[in-house]
Amino acid sequence: MDITKTVRDGVSVIAISGSLDSTTAPRAQDEVLPLIASGCCLVLDLSQCEYVSSAGLRVLLMIAKQLAAKNGRWAISGLSAEIKDVMEMTGFAAFFATFGTVAEALAAVKTACP
Amino acid sequence: MLRIDAHPTHKYMGFDIRMGKPLPFGATLVPGGVNFSVYSSHARSCELVLFKKHEPRPYATIPFPDQFRIGNVFTMVVFDLDYENIEYGFRMEGPFDPREGHRFDGTKILMDPYAKSIGGRDVWGTDPDWSNPYPHRARVLLDDFDWEEDHPLEIPIEDLIIYELHVRGFTRHPSSAIRHPGTFAGIREKIPYLRELGINCVELMPIHEFDEFENSRISPTTGRRLMNYWGYSNVGFFAPKAGFAATGKFGMQADELKNLIKELHKNGIEIILDVVFNHTAEGNEQGPTISYRGIDNKTYYMLTPDGGYYNFTGCGNTLNCNNPIVRNMILDCLRYWAADYHVDGFRFDLASILGRDQNGAPMHSPPLLETLAFDPILGKCKLIAEAWDAGGLYQVGSFPSWGRWAEWNGKFRDDVRRFLKGDPGLAGAMAQRLQGSPDLYQWQKRGTRASINFVTAHDGFTMMDLVSYNEKHNEANGENNTDGANDNNSWNCGGEGPSADPEVNRLRLKQIKNAVTMLLVSQGTPMILAGDEMGRTQGGNNNAYCQDNETSWLDWRLLGENAELHAYVKGIIRFRRAHPALRSCHHFTSNVAPNGYPDISWHGTGAWACDWSSESRTLAFLLNGENVKGGTANDTFIYVAMNMHWEMHGFELPQLPQGLSWHVAANTDMPAPEDIFESGAEKRIGNPSEFLVGPRSIVVLVGR
Repeated sequence: MDITKTVRDGVSVIAISGSLDSTTAPRAQDEVLPLIASGCCLVLDLSQCEYVSSAGLRVLLMIAKQLAAKNGRWAISGLSAEIKDVMEMTGFAAFFATFGTVAEALAAVKTACP
Repeated sequence: MLRIDAHPTHKYMGFDIRMGKPLPFGATLVPGGVNFSVYSSHARSCELVLFKKHEPRPYATIPFPDQFRIGNVFTMVVFDLDYENIEYGFRMEGPFDPREGHRFDGTKILMDPYAKSIGGRDVWGTDPDWSNPYPHRARVLLDDFDWEEDHPLEIPIEDLIIYELHVRGFTRHPSSAIRHPGTFAGIREKIPYLRELGINCVELMPIHEFDEFENSRISPTTGRRLMNYWGYSNVGFFAPKAGFAATGKFGMQADELKNLIKELHKNGIEIILDVVFNHTAEGNEQGPTISYRGIDNKTYYMLTPDGGYYNFTGCGNTLNCNNPIVRNMILDCLRYWAADYHVDGFRFDLASILGRDQNGAPMHSPPLLETLAFDPILGKCKLIAEAWDAGGLYQVGSFPSWGRWAEWNGKFRDDVRRFLKGDPGLAGAMAQRLQGSPDLYQWQKRGTRASINFVTAHDGFTMMDLVSYNEKHNEANGENNTDGANDNNSWNCGGEGPSADPEVNRLRLKQIKNAVTMLLVSQGTPMILAGDEMGRTQGGNNNAYCQDNETSWLDWRLLGENAELHAYVKGIIRFRRAHPALRSCHHFTSNVAPNGYPDISWHGTGAWACDWSSESRTLAFLLNGENVKGGTANDTFIYVAMNMHWEMHGFELPQLPQGLSWHVAANTDMPAPEDIFESGAEKRIGNPSEFLVGPRSIVVLVGR
């Protein structure tokens, strides 16, 4: 799994490629943590992410809850149809705002962030 | 908070380990590792066997050091495991002495009885690798789930309308037109349909992990593969069936099922699980050793004096339910489903087994049933017993209940079926069934709550087949039509099987409406078999346990073909939900309300006079609308006239109080849209002295 961090329009965009599962999810969480701490806005680009396991879904949910506690705004972009479907069936989709492209996700996040 | 007892203390072949905690049993995630706990009264030693998911051979075996034991419990924490990607099992050494009840075999890899997730049948029907040394594999479950505000609904049992369905059969047919046919996610896609139908409880046929390939064979008559389709055979008690989940191939079946339950609850629908504690998939000594036989044969199974397997279930073995250890396992299991899955209740298959002692003798006061009746975690769960077994015990009306257990009322099914087909002399029996069977349950002082009323269930004919066949036709099951019940009390309405005669078909439709009406106006809790509302047929097969095909799968096109039936069933469900007088939890007494009417009164073709004779085929009752449901509600008067004779009869109507008049709510003799009316839009007929009830017809009137 690879993690790339960029900043676009003042919003952190974290792109994850490969597999988000029990072995890689802790690393993803570490990368996101400082951003959560500052309560800032965040886009998670999963367009290169092939697979999200049970552990991966839980890390995403933890991120969602921690950001919500800080009134932060975030969104996920680029989910494959299959991963989106799995999230729907397991109930995790209800906790995430998901968009097709990074641009759409950025637009949604910025409307809420100063 | 850092604990001082959470770090590794020993090393074995590169694994960091320490003594674990005995509770909870099974595999539990702890900081840094996994806690494994398994018990056996007679094993001498135990090893933990670890596999990478799907790989044929284990990658490690870690013996439980002798000091990692409390009493008969082996417990160990193994650190730094890739918990999402492993499968685990046990090897146990112990005596092999079948006459003494011991069948330990150190070469077998055994599944954890407390496995919360099981691999090996991840996708339904995928041909297994028959050389797999460990075919049903325990996995570690991430059991955390965000239920948000969800909790069991605690709908009073008398207000439930139960819908019995098979997870795969409900949506597997392509006509279901959903994304994930035959799965938990599939049921979720059909929630709008269930809401519209008006039911408020789904009873799921077994959803624990079972082996669909058990006893699989090719049907000699059809050439198709027969499967263990219904699933009344446990591989694991604590794990949901992966093959019933669209996400099963990813191991996410627990989340998918929990999400289904959460959605059902959001839509006001309870879930009852059909649980099978009477036997396991290991069969007798000829059957496979999956788990229990190799872990503690003598504890888990009822054994004959010379070490053979008692077979009160007809399935090869009988679980030793009143052995204290097995009793605790069953309690742990039900508590787990109630607490972790927010399940609203349980229906116990062949529940009379649960009342037999360790030698198979029926007990007067079975400890297991008592334990379940009083357990605090199960305190608000519905407990429903199929109050018979395959060994000769029939306990409908006498199942030890402690005021908590309800029963599948087999007498309701039998009496209603006989009355429906026109058998004479059933007015007396029907009067009991319509009132919630006080003859069976009044001695328990449970009121109507003990009686689960049904006309059809997965065992036996569907409703459509009940009125289309005189005989069972189970040749496709490959047992020469010897399997399945013979006492069906069915009547084909004039021809066996599909008919081109419109009169036969009209009568069949009417008979189904009659059956459903009697079911829905009776005190007690009604249960409907999924698909009956659209005329599902199994072609006369009354024991389709092995038919994983169109025989069993619900064909959703029937909704269009049988729209009139579907609308009627919806309407009569709506009627029950709108009328609290039908849903009292107490049996009627001879109480007379302030308005001068008794709570219930019996009539026939003459008002206030009933034909109780042995030739009677007519019966009517009147419910007083004042102070119903134990004085907590008011309702209209309800009058139901049932004419099961082949000729029309006038029923003299009892007089209503001044100012009230009669309205027709339902009339099965009329074609749609005059067969059933919306609440508030019933057809006013005023105060005629009599009502002409058609042959083999039922009329429901409301007085307001």
